Formats: sequence, structure tokens, C-alpha cells
Amino acid sequence: MTVLPRGRGGSVNSGGRRAGRFAAMVVAAMMIAMVAGCSSKQNGAGAGAGGPGGPGGIGENGLGPNGSSSLNRFQKGMLDANGQGPLSDIHFDYNDYSVRAQDGEVLKSNADWMSKNSATRVQIEGHCDDRGSEEYNIALGAKRAQAAKDYLETLGITADRMSTISYGKELPVCNEDTDECWAQNRRDHFVVQQ
Amino acid sequence: MIRRFTSTMAALVMLSLAGAGSAQAQPIHMTISGPGSTAAPIAVSDFKNLGGDDQGTASHDFVRVLRRDLDLSGYFSIISPKSYIEDPQNSGYDLGKFNFGDWSSINADFLVKGAVTVSGDQVSVEALMFDVTQQRRMFGTRFSGGPSDVEQMARRFADSVLKAVTGTQGPFDSRIAFVSTRGGRFKEIYLASPDGGGLFRVTDNPTINLFPKFAHSAASVLYLSYKTGEPALYLFDVAGRTELRINSPHGNVIGGALSPDGSRIVAAVENGGHTNLFLLERSGEEIRQLTQGHAINVNPAFSADGQQLAFTSDRSGSPQIYVMSLGGGPARRVTYKGDYNTSPSFSPDGRWLAYQSRSGGFNIFIIPAAGGQPTQLTQDGRSNQSPCWSPDGRYLIFSSTRGGHERLYLMQVNTQSQTGKVISALMEDESNDSSPTWSWWLGE
Repeated sequence: MTVLPRGRGGSVNSGGRRAGRFAAMVVAAMMIAMVAGCSSKQNGAGAGAGGPGGPGGIGENGLGPNGSSSLNRFQKGMLDANGQGPLSDIHFDYNDYSVRAQDGEVLKSNADWMSKNSATRVQIEGHCDDRGSEEYNIALGAKRAQAAKDYLETLGITADRMSTISYGKELPVCNEDTDECWAQNRRDHFVVQQ
Repeated sequence: MIRRFTSTMAALVMLSLAGAGSAQAQPIHMTISGPGSTAAPIAVSDFKNLGGDDQGTASHDFVRVLRRDLDLSGYFSIISPKSYIEDPQNSGYDLGKFNFGDWSSINADFLVKGAVTVSGDQVSVEALMFDVTQQRRMFGTRFSGGPSDVEQMARRFADSVLKAVTGTQGPFDSRIAFVSTRGGRFKEIYLASPDGGGLFRVTDNPTINLFPKFAHSAASVLYLSYKTGEPALYLFDVAGRTELRINSPHGNVIGGALSPDGSRIVAAVENGGHTNLFLLERSGEEIRQLTQGHAINVNPAFSADGQQLAFTSDRSGSPQIYVMSLGGGPARRVTYKGDYNTSPSFSPDGRWLAYQSRSGGFNIFIIPAAGGQPTQLTQDGRSNQSPCWSPDGRYLIFSSTRGGHERLYLMQVNTQSQTGKVISALMEDESNDSSPTWSWWLGE
């Protein structure tokens, strides 16, 4: 089985160091994709025992459709707090979906980038910490994603350039039962779709 | 082990043995009526081979599962087979053909004996239950089927043993569904028997699969999957291994439940951050919207008669449990204590709701469905979640991190005394198991 790389901890999307880190992650992604390729074949062998073989679904390589979504990075074993791409995460209080005052600047910076790159679309992912009902958390994550979308609209980004999805508590970037971890996991993540 | 269990079940034939003390015998209502009372000592002898079971496989499968289920029930303590005096192969198995003294001397109150015959692909099992104290036969059952049916025969017999002693059919001839990471690091949907045996894998996709739900029947399982990248509900037909995707024109479907008769679905549909419940046909065609507004409405759960729907809503400002009649009328708030109450499950008689509440960690509570005082049933552990009632109403299955990682646990519940006793974890795996749900009896 693919081993999850350890989270690199510390700062969340602090800007300047990102370019170098991104290059390093591309290499890591290629290496892990090769490992994942092996393990997904093993999965495929087991499918005959009870796979649904249902309509649609994941492609042959076992990867979802959105290249750098958190789900896609989780599939590759690359989900960690450093994220990916030019837009920064925002964070939320426990069981809350209002944009915090200190995150207004982050959203302003994200809106500026989207204004300069007007051909892009962005998917806003809502995430929750590991506590509580899975289904309630998917609904709460949807509210968090919608809150950022509404905020970006007030900054002049048109709604047709944004979509939302909630992963509830299913894709944590930090896996310990600590306040620090939970705070990192209560986030909106912004994925650029060309 | 991953096994197929659906198609062969139809071949399992069960006959009550005629004669004195058949299955219709009056149950003995003992004092072992629930959690906290003493478990009755019972001996389950190995079965006599009447031909063809030379390796003892059929006898072993039946006896192993029967001992496991009677032990899990909380009503019995299994006397260790090491102390059994009698050799089943050298004695009879029916009344008058063996010595009760061999069993009373090891302090058995009850005794199960029997015989197996294997011929080709046919296995016949004759199982008999005795009251050792009164030296009488309580009932007997003859089963026939294939070798892969033997474990299910034992579950059915365990349910009859519980009926003979407590007056109520046991819950083991049924199915549970749950989410597990046992296939790797992805959450997949599995089915199993309530004793943890008979594991069957439903999904195999490296994404996120959640919230398996049955109707009363275990023939279909409804679940949520991100396998296309977006969340959607799927209705999986277990025997045919086909499935139907359930969509909504109103937004993303993020959860759902099947009505007890399987004819309807309630889907939680998210749009613009608002999540509302919709009543759908089994095909996914919309009947009507059940909740309105800007709040979160999730965790739909039907009552056993299909007339009531319990759900979680944060319309008051915090997640609380509500009940509405599917015949119409406003939803009624049930929980007032605590600021994070979710994941309701109706007791089979419709009088109680089990749910999870944040109180330090998360714990399992029950509350009268008509409203009233909640009772906390779990105390320990960081997280006790997703309670679901057994078809006989005497057990809750739930997930807990009390053992380090998240596993499924069985709890014996007495709604009269409002007490619960956690019996055991169901499986010993290292994986994380969660979101259990429980079908009705397979024989119905």
C-alpha cells in the first residue's frame, strides 16, 4: 500500500517558497503515481470479488477527474497542509462557517489573482475537522465553501467562474487529535481549473 | 474472507421438528431479561456425524457460529468445551439417548446437541435445545442446504434459542453494512453478519464511500460515493451486482435513507450551502420536498412502519434531532439537551430514538421519540457514533474509538430500565470501521 507522506506542518500557504516546493512536489507526484499504479492493479484484481462495476466512475488509472483536487491528491497519497496552486486556504472556527476577519485579506489576495487570470475557473472545497457526524460535516463543509464563494462575489468575481464541493471530514491534511490539527483541517481549499 | 452469501440463502430450508417440545413450546421467561442480569450457563456440544462429515467441517462451522452468537447476545455464558464429559460421537443427541447428568455436573442450565449429515453438496443439520435443569427438550430444528449455508443455519438457530429463553427472536439472521478501510486506506462499503462473519465487499474504488443504508431487506444497499469526483447516491443490488445512480435536479445529493419497504428514498440535497430533504421514488424520481429553508437537514432515518422520519437539523442554531410525519405536518424538535445532537435511529417499535451527542467526546444516547429525558448509554472513549438498532430492538450497533482505532461495537439495551451494556467489538481488524446499519431478519 502507498504510504502517506508526512505533513510538512507549519505555515499554511505563506507565498514566497511555493515555487520551489511545487517543483519538488511534481517529482514526488510522479514517483508516487508509479507506486499507486502498482497498488491500484491489486485493487483491480480484487474487484471481481465484489466490485460494483457500476456506471461512470473512476478511470483505469484509479484517479478522479479533477487534477489537483484534494480527493485527487489523497488518491496519490499527497494530501498535506501545504496544498498546491496559487490560491491560499482559509480556516474556520469549530462548527462554524462564517469567514473570519483575518481571512478577508486571504480572500482579497485570491480574488486579485483570479482577476488577473480571468480565463480560470476555481473550485472551492469545504472541509471539516474529524469530530462529529460524517453527513452533518458534509453539509457544514458545503456551507463553508459557499461562504467563500459569496465573499469572492462581493469582491467582483462572477459566480460562473466558481463551483463548490464539500468533502466533509473525509480529507484531513493533519491526522492527529489535537486542537492545532483540527484547526488546520477546518478549511476552504481553492483549486484552479483551467 | 470475502464470500458470496446472497444467492445460496434461498436454498436454506428450515423445518421445525415435530413431536414433544417443538418450536411452539412455551418460552420460559427467565430473569435474564437484559443488561446487568446474569448470563445463563449453556453448553453447546459438537454435533454427531451421521455420515459424510468426516473432517467435522459442518459440525465445526455450525457450533463455532452458534457459540459466538449466543455469547454475543449477552444472555448466555458458554461453558468451555474443554470441560464437556460426553463424547458426541459415542452418544445419542435426542431425549433419552444421552445422560443429563453429564451436563448438570458441569453446571449447564441449557444444552444444545445435534447431528449433521453431508451428502455431496447437501448438508443436513438437526439441532436440539434442552433445558438441563428440567431435563426436557425445548425445541428442535432441521436445516438443509449447501456447505456455505451452514453458518447461516447456526445464526437462525441462535435466534430461536434466544426466543425459547427470552420470548423474543434473536437478531443474528440479518445483515449489517458498514464503512471500512480494511481494503487499504480508502473508505469502502462492506456487508457482514451481525456477528462479524460473512464479510462481503460492495465497493472497490479509490475514493470515498459513505453511509450505507438498508431497507428492511438486505437485498439492496444505498450509499454515498465520490467515485465520479462528485458526491452521489447509489442503490446497489447485492444479488445482481448492478447499481442505480440517484441524482437530484436541486443540487448535490450528500446523504439518504431507504424506506422500510424499499419503495422510497429520502435524499439530503445540498444547494448553495443549504441542505434539504427530498422524498423520492426508488427510481430517483422526485415526489416532494420535505424540508425548506437555509438550514442543514441531514441524517434521514425512517421509523419501522415507514410513517415517521427522524433527521438532524441546525435550524435552531445547533444540530438537533427532529421527527416529522411523512403524512404531512411540521417537524417536531425532540432533543433540547446538548448543542450537537446528530445521527438518529428509530427503535423497531418506534418509541425510542438513539443518537449521538457531544458531551466531552461523543456518546450514544436514547430519548423517547415523543420527547422527554435523554439517557446517556456510553461513558468512555473519545468518540461513540452512528448508533443503529437491531431488528429485535435489544441491541445497538455503533462505532467507537475506545480501543484506539474506530471499530464496531454491540451494546445490549433495555429501554424499560434505560440501561445499556457494551458487549464486545465485532471484529478484531486493524482497519477503521464506521457508519454501521442493520437490516431486518433475512427470513422475512
